[in-house]
Amino acid sequence: MNPTPLHLLWLLCAPLALGLLAWVRPPRHSGLVLLLALPLPLVALWLALGLEAGPMAGRLGLGPLVLHWRLDGLAALLWLLTHLLLLASALYAVGYARATVLDARAYAWLWPLLGGLALGLGLIWIAADLLLLYAGLELMGLCAVGMMLLPGSIEALSAGLRYLLYALVGSLAWLLGIALLLGAWSRLDLAGLAALAQPDAVTQIALALLTSGLLLKAAIFPLHSWLAPVHGSAWTPVSALHGALVVKASFFILLTLWRVLLPEAIAGAWTLGALGSLAVLWGGVQAWRAAGLKQLVAWSTVGQLGYLMLAFPLLAGTSANIATLAWQGTWLQLAGHALAKAAMFMAVGNLLLSTGKNQLEGLTGTSRRLPLSLLTFGLAAVTLMGLPPSAGFTAKWLLLQAALAAGQWPWVLVLVLGTLLTAIYIFRVLRCSFVEDAPEPMLCTLPLGMDLIAFTLALAAIALGLAAGWPLSLLGQTVVP
Amino acid sequence: MVAWGLAALLLALAGVCLLERHLWRACQGFVAFALLMALAWLLLGAPWLALAEALFGALLTGGTLLWTLRGRGSLPRLAELDQTPQRGLWMAPLRWLLVLCWLGLIGAALVWLLDDLSSTSLLAATGLLILGLGLWAFVTHRHLLRRLLAFNLLGSGVFLLLAGVAGPSAEVWGLILVGLVVALLGSVLGATLLLRLHAQADQITLNAVFGASADSAR
Repeated sequence: MNPTPLHLLWLLCAPLALGLLAWVRPPRHSGLVLLLALPLPLVALWLALGLEAGPMAGRLGLGPLVLHWRLDGLAALLWLLTHLLLLASALYAVGYARATVLDARAYAWLWPLLGGLALGLGLIWIAADLLLLYAGLELMGLCAVGMMLLPGSIEALSAGLRYLLYALVGSLAWLLGIALLLGAWSRLDLAGLAALAQPDAVTQIALALLTSGLLLKAAIFPLHSWLAPVHGSAWTPVSALHGALVVKASFFILLTLWRVLLPEAIAGAWTLGALGSLAVLWGGVQAWRAAGLKQLVAWSTVGQLGYLMLAFPLLAGTSANIATLAWQGTWLQLAGHALAKAAMFMAVGNLLLSTGKNQLEGLTGTSRRLPLSLLTFGLAAVTLMGLPPSAGFTAKWLLLQAALAAGQWPWVLVLVLGTLLTAIYIFRVLRCSFVEDAPEPMLCTLPLGMDLIAFTLALAAIALGLAAGWPLSLLGQTVVP
Repeated sequence: MVAWGLAALLLALAGVCLLERHLWRACQGFVAFALLMALAWLLLGAPWLALAEALFGALLTGGTLLWTLRGRGSLPRLAELDQTPQRGLWMAPLRWLLVLCWLGLIGAALVWLLDDLSSTSLLAATGLLILGLGLWAFVTHRHLLRRLLAFNLLGSGVFLLLAGVAGPSAEVWGLILVGLVVALLGSVLGATLLLRLHAQADQITLNAVFGASADSAR
């Protein structure tokens, strides 16, 4: 156990400092943002490259309190992904502020909230005790709520208020679960809990409480109702970050806790898998029926999160080979979906800004006028549908192999049906855009940079499928912290 | 004896805070409740936490709620009396089932954890009762300020339960401190939102329909 290295602390706190700086003087040029924020993903990459020797771990003493942290391959990769997406969203936000009329005060507030979000996510990835996880989760959640409220419209306010109440109740369920765990085992660090905790009734009740809080925050199937309204009125860069990272962080904590506390609980894992399957189907059907373009993308997030939940039954009580397949497939799906969903939200945001309409029908005739935005949408959709050679394909292929090898047939059906539903709602959008006999739409032109950022992210999602070897080698075997 | 008196007083104040339809009195009840919580932390041997509770809970959270009621700047004031109808038992049976299920599970876990009757189990039992009251209020009330109050009491119930179950230790105080800051930030955000929602749409509930019917009744 070492003291916390300085570069780790710097990577945690630098985004917040930059955010506060930008609060005082909101950036108007993307070049400046790029210059100041580019070191962050580079340092994260350097950290990930330096982990060949094995995970780093340590503790941080604050008076009588001892906080534990641990940086393994998975955490480093997620951190790198976080910084890349934050950088892309920040660059996009600068263009967005120039292309639309934003309230200057609200725009200034975006930056410290971005910084807080980065700090919260960083804490979640490297936390190895429940107190640090709690702090990170709450910081991330409150910053996310704050970002959703920035537009200030009535829809944004009431959707945001609902989100806030849900998030607060979710955090209390989480705290109750921790209270029971702390009472039963008097430990908060994950390694100690993994060694000590028995799968008895108290642990099960505590984990049920923790799970209900996290499912609420991750918008998993029966508790997803807040997600679509919130996205409908939020700013595009905020939607992109939320769909790509914030809901995923809750899933990450959920999977970590189940691996630590109840790795062998088959019934619970199958229940979570079943919830995920329902999410895939229900999210797909709702995206199919959605009238607004942003709602469609938000419902697609509900569906795609369902695939991640299949990790629980495939990891619980299965052999090492199957578990490794499912482990790699899950994280690849998470990363691929994060990149593709951010790209898709940005592409959709560009389409909406150009056409000035929120509905699907507003897209008629855009195929000739806005080819780059539509191409980005299509490339992101390739990953969501799981067509080769994207990351979505590789991930679903791994999950499919794991399900077949474990003999868990229901998930195969879910994977097939989910892909079919995704294809249906994607082609609904593309069909609308290729209608040629509509009157010529009135379009306003956007800065090219906004399209290029989205396009780069969509390409990255496909490249991740082609070059999955390096991240998968860093992920390694399924590990219990 | 002091512990029993404190527990009874906490419960009574929580009741006042949650049942009172006069919002000004309910918020004052919350400030008193938070000060009493600070006293409880002091008696449990955590003076720093007592200070934090008095500062974050009573002064800042309570102050924010009272300030929201008084009206900030040019924003229109909220009515002092909550006249929205309560959500009936039959309106959301699933919600009730979930609440009862939750409370039952926590109660079972508490019985499991605390086998002997002592001052810590009194603390946990008080926490559980306040938690139940807060949950009931959070589910039935429609007025957003009262729901924020219910959330704050819910949180305090969880803190008491945490201290009762896990005993006095640095980890417990750390968790409660983070929880207090979260409750404060959530309350500030929620109250600001409520005021802006009220100013823009004349709405004091989440559902516009109920808000409108309450307004016509006024």
